[in-house]
Amino acid sequence: MIELEGIEKVYTSGAAETPVLKGISFKVNAGEYVAIMGASGTGKSTLMNILGCLDKPTGGHYRLDDTDMVNLDDDALSHLRNHKIGFVFQQFHLLDRSTALRNVMLPLIYADEYPEDAKERAEKTLAAVGLADRMTYRPNQLSGGQQQRVAIARALITDPSIILADEPTGNLDSTSGAEVLAIFQRLHKEGRTVILVTHDRAVAEHADRIIVLKDGSVAEDQPVAHPRDADAEARALAEKEVQK
Amino acid sequence: MRTLRIATEGARALTGHKLRTFFMMAGTIVGIAALTVIMAVGAGTEKKVMKRVNAFGTHAIMITAGGGKGFSPPQAGVTTLRLEDADAISSQVQGIDVLAPFAVKRGMAVKAGTNQVETIVMAVGPTWHDAWEWYVQEGDPITAEDTSTMARVCLLGTVSANDLFGNEDPIGQDIQIGNVRFKVKGILETRGTSPMGDEFDSRVVIPLTTGLRRLYNQDYVTNIRVKVKNPDEIDSVAGEIRQLLHERHHITPPREDDFALFSAADIARMARGISGTLNILLTALAGLSLFVGGIVLMNILLISVGERKKEIGLRRALGATQGDIFRQFLMESLSVTLLGMVLGSALGWAASSLMAAVTKFPVVVSWQPFALALGFALVVGLFFGVQPARRAARLKPVDALR
Repeated sequence: MIELEGIEKVYTSGAAETPVLKGISFKVNAGEYVAIMGASGTGKSTLMNILGCLDKPTGGHYRLDDTDMVNLDDDALSHLRNHKIGFVFQQFHLLDRSTALRNVMLPLIYADEYPEDAKERAEKTLAAVGLADRMTYRPNQLSGGQQQRVAIARALITDPSIILADEPTGNLDSTSGAEVLAIFQRLHKEGRTVILVTHDRAVAEHADRIIVLKDGSVAEDQPVAHPRDADAEARALAEKEVQK
Repeated sequence: MRTLRIATEGARALTGHKLRTFFMMAGTIVGIAALTVIMAVGAGTEKKVMKRVNAFGTHAIMITAGGGKGFSPPQAGVTTLRLEDADAISSQVQGIDVLAPFAVKRGMAVKAGTNQVETIVMAVGPTWHDAWEWYVQEGDPITAEDTSTMARVCLLGTVSANDLFGNEDPIGQDIQIGNVRFKVKGILETRGTSPMGDEFDSRVVIPLTTGLRRLYNQDYVTNIRVKVKNPDEIDSVAGEIRQLLHERHHITPPREDDFALFSAADIARMARGISGTLNILLTALAGLSLFVGGIVLMNILLISVGERKKEIGLRRALGATQGDIFRQFLMESLSVTLLGMVLGSALGWAASSLMAAVTKFPVVVSWQPFALALGFALVVGLFFGVQPARRAARLKPVDALR
């Protein structure tokens, strides 16, 4: 469970102080599918970094499964990121010179125990995102959608409870985007917490709940009455492409 | 285990950037290669020096009639080095173990039956054996009785014995030097080549008095050989002898010496010659290239940290601690220098072997340079890797990912 309580973030540059987050509070229960929305400059990325334990707030409390990360040191935060959080980035952030398989195995290097079946696990995870036949490909041999699916497999390899995706469809065409969202939908159904950060309401509407940020505060926090079905959209788009 | 996994990540980065890796490595390769060559040449030179010194005698001082700068044969016609000088040195200079005056003549005709050779004849006293540490392997040595009776006896070197008598046993047989007959009483041990390049074993040795009165008809000697008790005192003993001879021969500065004096220490200095200077130069080169190579390595790594910000940020996001990143970059640096060391050692070894083959310069390849190279590689890799590794580790994941 994620619990934010009065989260503040102030950037200081010289004498100038720029408050970016001005007291944000909300809870995300385990297994929820939440979209965080907002125009650029509303503190979306900053909030995302704090949620991902990549950055610490300057005020407030952030409890992740009852641990207040504000009190943790850098090593403990690294450890937390490794086994509790799976990141998916807009830019994919794959290692160019490594194969899909190696990219997926990367987080295991930093795990407490390197699993003996690391390779098999990575192969299985890649197969689960539909890339069984692309294991030995390097990122530049893959399409954008395939690269993002490698990144999702990488996020899943340590079996994290939370998937944190920052504009995951931002660099993808609509078909690939729908495919990626279909994977998130499936992960959510499997019981994982999925947090999707986006500026696009059409993307956000796939989640069960939308939190809208405005000017560093929560402007809106509402459930989605009828979440969109990414799986159906993806299938429809794929059919349309075949007809063309 | 975790450290090993991270070390692998560090080493893996190198194979992806071969040209960059080569540049990072170049200084280490040159430095280590130079180091290997220096040590091989140094060891070779020292071997040559020790061979010369051993041939000369590690405890020996040689006084030669006649001046001259180099270590050379006695000058003909110099009559000033006398037995009285030998007595004076023996009684007035401390630290002498044994002393032997002797007279050498080159190009003497020696005959045995129909065999004739031209060789060096040495007229020596009974102390000569000890002063030279050169004894008979068969028969009897030159004794005090031989010199007091002016006995017409002689010793042959192994080569001269063979030249004159072939397979026959020479002991008890007669030879003729000039017009004088000598009976062979012993065969000297094989000794090899003198520091001046003469064959020791082709010599003929006769008693000092017999040589001076019956053969050469002279009352002066050509050499005095001194053996000191302690080789550490050799320079001071040599200095005292020199001073004593100056007094006895009334030599004061503008006048040149009428004798030359060389000690084992002088021989070593001469044998080392320019190789010492060469060694210092090469060592400086090796040190400089290791240092410059280290700086180049550090700078390329620093640039690479900047270029790989995203990679570092990603690794941090995926759970790498600051320590993990630090170790990864340090390992990258260490891999470069260790690989550089292997290549440099191979290059140095090849260069040394080539030198040995082409120039006949004595080169000794041993394990020490490789151990030293390993040490240098570790030191350079760690020292110049720390700064980039620290910079990489201190990047904030948020800034690095942006």
